[in-house]
Amino acid sequence: MLGSGSRFPATLSLIGSLLGLLFASYSTMDYAEHLDRGLHDVHCSFIPGAPPTSEAEACRAAMYSPYSALFRQSMWGGVPISLFALGALAFFCGFALYLWLARDRAPRLAVGFFAGVGLTPLLVSIVMLIISVTKLGHLCKTCVGIYISSFVLAVGAVAGLFTLKGDARPRLSVLFPVGWLAALGLTTLVPAAVYASSVPDQRPYLNKCGSLKQPKMSVGTPVKIHGSRAVQPVLFFEDPLCPTCRAFHERLLDENVFERLDVDLVLFPLDSECNWMLESPIHPGACIVSKAVICGGDRTRQVLEWAYEEQVYLTRAGKAGANVLRAAIKQRWGDDLLKCVDDRKTDVLLNQHLHFASDNAIPVSTPQMYLGAKRVCDEDTDMGLRFALSELAPEVLK
Amino acid sequence: MNPSGAEPTPPGPSAGLGGAAGLLGAGAGAVLLLATTLAVRSWVSSATERLEHPAEAKAKVAIADQAEVAYCTPRFKEVLERVLHSCGLAQDETRRGCKPADVKTFASISDSDFNELFTPLKDRGAVILFDEGMQDLDDGAKKLLEDKWFQRKGARYFFVVARASKSGNQAKNRALSHRRANSVMFHLTSVANDPEIDKKVGLLWLGNEFAQLSKDYCAWPSSRANEKCDEEAINRSAFVSWVDCRL
Repeated sequence: MLGSGSRFPATLSLIGSLLGLLFASYSTMDYAEHLDRGLHDVHCSFIPGAPPTSEAEACRAAMYSPYSALFRQSMWGGVPISLFALGALAFFCGFALYLWLARDRAPRLAVGFFAGVGLTPLLVSIVMLIISVTKLGHLCKTCVGIYISSFVLAVGAVAGLFTLKGDARPRLSVLFPVGWLAALGLTTLVPAAVYASSVPDQRPYLNKCGSLKQPKMSVGTPVKIHGSRAVQPVLFFEDPLCPTCRAFHERLLDENVFERLDVDLVLFPLDSECNWMLESPIHPGACIVSKAVICGGDRTRQVLEWAYEEQVYLTRAGKAGANVLRAAIKQRWGDDLLKCVDDRKTDVLLNQHLHFASDNAIPVSTPQMYLGAKRVCDEDTDMGLRFALSELAPEVLK
Repeated sequence: MNPSGAEPTPPGPSAGLGGAAGLLGAGAGAVLLLATTLAVRSWVSSATERLEHPAEAKAKVAIADQAEVAYCTPRFKEVLERVLHSCGLAQDETRRGCKPADVKTFASISDSDFNELFTPLKDRGAVILFDEGMQDLDDGAKKLLEDKWFQRKGARYFFVVARASKSGNQAKNRALSHRRANSVMFHLTSVANDPEIDKKVGLLWLGNEFAQLSKDYCAWPSSRANEKCDEEAINRSAFVSWVDCRL
């Protein structure tokens, strides 16, 4: 049992708060760094102080997801929720230090208040954990660092209740918790308010990523995918085996944007088997899977989403050889679709897609999104997606 | 309980250690808040500075383009470019195709050097063979022509170089090789379903006047691989190939 003068709960809370503050700082720093519209390495480690890395797929996906920030529509990138964590955890650090110093002279009301509000970061963490698992499908290490810190903080805060024994403690007016709550609210908002007031205006940069010289394919046709409530024509260059394309597709679904789009999909597999612009395959097998998408007919969207869902397996199959990949396609979509994949006409159509890319001298990268002839910048398809759409195609968000 | 029956009044939060602890805690919280807020401000300011005054150009990204392979030497491209612009492939040109005199003039190249340029296309292209004095494509010729046309890969231009053998007079052979080039073009137009085919196909007809093929070319892929081939037969032909060069 914890003695009434035990510092153990406050120590736990202090450690949890400081660790959480550290992880939230990394997360906020990464977010703020991307306001320059560049692509940067991000912190993605359980170890505080570990340097940022380019191998941070899960952390990047979390950062680009619609769940990582508020007000994404009115502000480029939105206000990252880690900012609220920064403010709140600074408050919890201070309060935990107070309880640590005061020991058994801390009023019951203070210990009880801390036990109550100390649970809130854990509750938020649980919600974010559920979102990470169910919506994003993976866990970002920095986020997990914050979850664990919140847990430690909560355990310490609740454990503090066990130090309250029959001994006499200073009494306080009930107005104190109201004041603390107000202080907590204020500190939670301050970093976010400072961030929101100082972010640069990104509107001048939205239309500076080039345009298509010939927006319509003169030979061949793009793959058509009509959203169920389509209002906005859009052209995508995508590679079904490209992880960034998959993440982009998931963002469009999560943002409830995809159904509002009337998509012309141009396949741009980053596989040298059919794409002469590469010396070696970046995504082996992408040419065959692209042909499967072309052959999808009424099921094109399903084939594309199957390719995204099974991307890891299909990439492995692609590396194993064309026949392994063809077998996977046949198993899932049947003989007819595979015959179409092997048809010369499909080869020709895919080649026409690639020539459309070269005729337009687009960058050799995927995904790319075009509204009319204008290219939507890469950074406006990830962190700035909702803001860019609100500026360039507001009807999509209605 | 004291004698009056009331509980002893504990010291207030600002009294003694509790008060000092509260001040220290509040102070530490305020310092942390200030530090994190200043850090946030600094991170955003740095990003804004980089946005408004980029220190260095972004890393260059490869740009999608037509294929360019090893045989596209400067000399090869020079000749091709002259031929392209002179034989009607450039936009808004009304004439299409190059007759022997044109090729001689525009290519500015000897017969052997002209043929030598096309040597690297041996595997990419093929020789479509015709009957003597005829311009009709047989089934084998059509199939080979379609195979070659649909193996476009990253090429921008398709060349048809039609010839006639030495039998007959120059005018007749010039006309015959012209008809052979047109036969190829007509068939491509019918199968390609490409409204921009005129911008892709370069037609040259050489009659028997320029760059006749030697018997060595019988070893090249042809539409009559199993038939006897000699210097006469190999020149009753149209050489066809995509050219993987950026011009």
